[in-house]
Amino acid sequence: MIMQLLGEVLKLMVLAGFAVAGILVILIWKKGLATKVTYLRFIIQIVTMVAVFYLFTYPVYQLIVLIVILVMPLFLGRFFCGWLCPFGLYMDAITLIRKALKVRYRLLPDKLNRALHNLRYVLLLIFLIITPVILSILFPIPSLDFAPIMALLFAGPFEPFRVLLGPLIPLIVPWVGPLEIGGVYFSYPYVQEVILYSNVVFSEIFVNVTALIFVALTFVGSFFVRRVWCRFCPTGSSLAVLNRFKGFKWAPALHIDKDEEKCTKCGICKRVCPVQVTEVYEQKGGKIDTSMCMLCMRCVEMCPYEGCLKVNMGGKTVFKSRNWLEPSTVE
Amino acid sequence: MKSKSEERRYVPEISQKEVEELRSTIKAASQKIIAENIERMKKTAENRPEEMKYFDDIANFFGTREKEIRAAKEKGRKVIGYMCLFAPTELILAADAIPIRVNSGWYDTAKLGDRVVPVEVCPVIRSTIGAKMIGLSPYLELSDALISVLTCDGMTKLGEILSDYKPVWAMTIPRVKDSAQSLRLWNDEIKAMKSQIEALTGNKIDRKKLKSAIELTQKATKAFRRLQELRKGAPVIMGRDAMLVNQTYMWDDIKRWTEKTEALCEELEKRAQNKMWACPPDTPRVMVTGTPMIWPDNWKLPTLVEEGTPQGVLVADELCSSERLLYDPVGVDEWNMSDMFNAIAERYLMASTCPCFTSKDGNEDRINWLLTKIKDWNIQGVIYYVHRGCMLYAMEYTRVKKVLDDIHVPVYYLDTEYTREDVGQMKTRVEAFLEMLTARIDI
Repeated sequence: MIMQLLGEVLKLMVLAGFAVAGILVILIWKKGLATKVTYLRFIIQIVTMVAVFYLFTYPVYQLIVLIVILVMPLFLGRFFCGWLCPFGLYMDAITLIRKALKVRYRLLPDKLNRALHNLRYVLLLIFLIITPVILSILFPIPSLDFAPIMALLFAGPFEPFRVLLGPLIPLIVPWVGPLEIGGVYFSYPYVQEVILYSNVVFSEIFVNVTALIFVALTFVGSFFVRRVWCRFCPTGSSLAVLNRFKGFKWAPALHIDKDEEKCTKCGICKRVCPVQVTEVYEQKGGKIDTSMCMLCMRCVEMCPYEGCLKVNMGGKTVFKSRNWLEPSTVE
Repeated sequence: MKSKSEERRYVPEISQKEVEELRSTIKAASQKIIAENIERMKKTAENRPEEMKYFDDIANFFGTREKEIRAAKEKGRKVIGYMCLFAPTELILAADAIPIRVNSGWYDTAKLGDRVVPVEVCPVIRSTIGAKMIGLSPYLELSDALISVLTCDGMTKLGEILSDYKPVWAMTIPRVKDSAQSLRLWNDEIKAMKSQIEALTGNKIDRKKLKSAIELTQKATKAFRRLQELRKGAPVIMGRDAMLVNQTYMWDDIKRWTEKTEALCEELEKRAQNKMWACPPDTPRVMVTGTPMIWPDNWKLPTLVEEGTPQGVLVADELCSSERLLYDPVGVDEWNMSDMFNAIAERYLMASTCPCFTSKDGNEDRINWLLTKIKDWNIQGVIYYVHRGCMLYAMEYTRVKKVLDDIHVPVYYLDTEYTREDVGQMKTRVEAFLEMLTARIDI
């Protein structure tokens, strides 16, 4: 009873949080008032995580989330990755711990970063096409009706489609992973997919080993390398897959624009980027349309030249770099 | 280290008597020129900002600031001079030393420098050598060590020549600005400089100290930019006054300088609200770009522009002695040592628009930055000011001219020397240019 009441209160709080976040977004849009983008981003990330956890626990909401995540990239690119993804928040929180410990971050070599970037598409291919095909051969689809297909998609052999929601899964559905310590599950959602298929073929030991690798990759990896998972996240690639192709580069309404004349190539944008995007620095002005960029807007916030970097949304400038050297520092 | 005074590799011996004589005459002449320059600046601006009094005082080389530095040195603080703005000021500040830029602007000492290097060499170099030969500049005399950044040929050898007198720390600066290996080299140079500064001062540069030093210069940059922003509109301050404010940063106490500049900006903002302009708002707006103009002697071009008939006003410049000193901030992402060092290295190497660099697109940053300045500061004419002997600026003129012709902004090439003899003919040339600008505005 008390728990239920608490749940209701939490939901209201989340709604209030949403309202605050909405107002903040409108403020940015209207006046460029919100200057501390990183703080704003943290607020929105936390609100989304709580929202996903408390509000979208019913299957019907899952569908909405899925649709939102699939449709949004058409208009917003990888905005989801930078601002909404709960797993991104998890990695940012680890980064905060690292900052508090005064440990410096490591950079991945540029070539490796690019290789990982391309690996995403391979991963996406494996999860999206190869596994379902193999599974559908193993377990033939009973009929082509809509409902059974959806059921198959989410619960049946087509479950790998859920990889699109990978980082969200532990938050949407009660999470039971293979690695459990004191009632808390420490494995990473993608593990579930891997394990689901590996379980059939391999032994339990293998499952635990994969789980451990994932934990190491995500926790230790993101401790030393900022946003390590985002560099090869298949969810991200599925979001960005449209911007990847020449004909679709017009598609994302939200993107970063660079004014070449105002740039002195001071290199700040390159250094502060959590996923080591070099295009903002290297490109000679114009629209930044690399699918590596997850629109966290840290570069825009840090750029010390007025109006050099701009975030444009549907032709309107939402937010631009300022002259006044007051970036948010999280310490 | 063996005593350098006995064995000098470059500088010829001058008798003590001659040194004394030259120093006293040039010092007296220089004091007169400083007073005269300030007097003329006061005369030009009808209602000069009150806050300029402080900067006038600091601008005196042989006055308050010299005494302050002497007092600080007696208390054990070290003074580290630097010759190019690429020297990492933040590290010097973090080690509790006083950073001072020691380039000389004295015309008379340039002639002394001719005894050491040929006349074809850039006059800034010759003048600095001359100033050191007779011990004229108090800041150069008081510095315990000099940081020489090997930007142009002149600077490279200047460091070598000055090492006859003082320990000189050379820093290799890569010529290609935007490659990863350049940045690595420059990063290593900065780290090496850190240990040298630590060894001299005996103070360890730790995270906290470096952070506060960076914050200090960031605040200074903020005040500096505020002043430059104010010059975007109708002229609230004469260009010479603003240039003097910018230039005092080279030797003033940075914290106090920041406070005073903010105070000046506040006063100017009030003036702008009351529409109290320093000169008529339709005065032609001129920008200077090129070789540094260093106080006190090398003040002839700004004086000619702002005292000419018709009058012009300098609203912006792209000089390493003025606006480029401080416009670029140190942008730190995370306040740990490694990122702070990266930020310092990038601020000095990559953000600079000095023509000693080239990059994949051939120092396009400078062109872009000039275009931005012309647009944002509403510039009507550009004076390209070059010292005879500065190859780099002279050679880039062709490119700048081409670009500025495309956007129909007149640019005038003015080459000169460290001498007062050409003031007459320069006056004619500058006034003709200003006349042309006025005519253009009228049309």
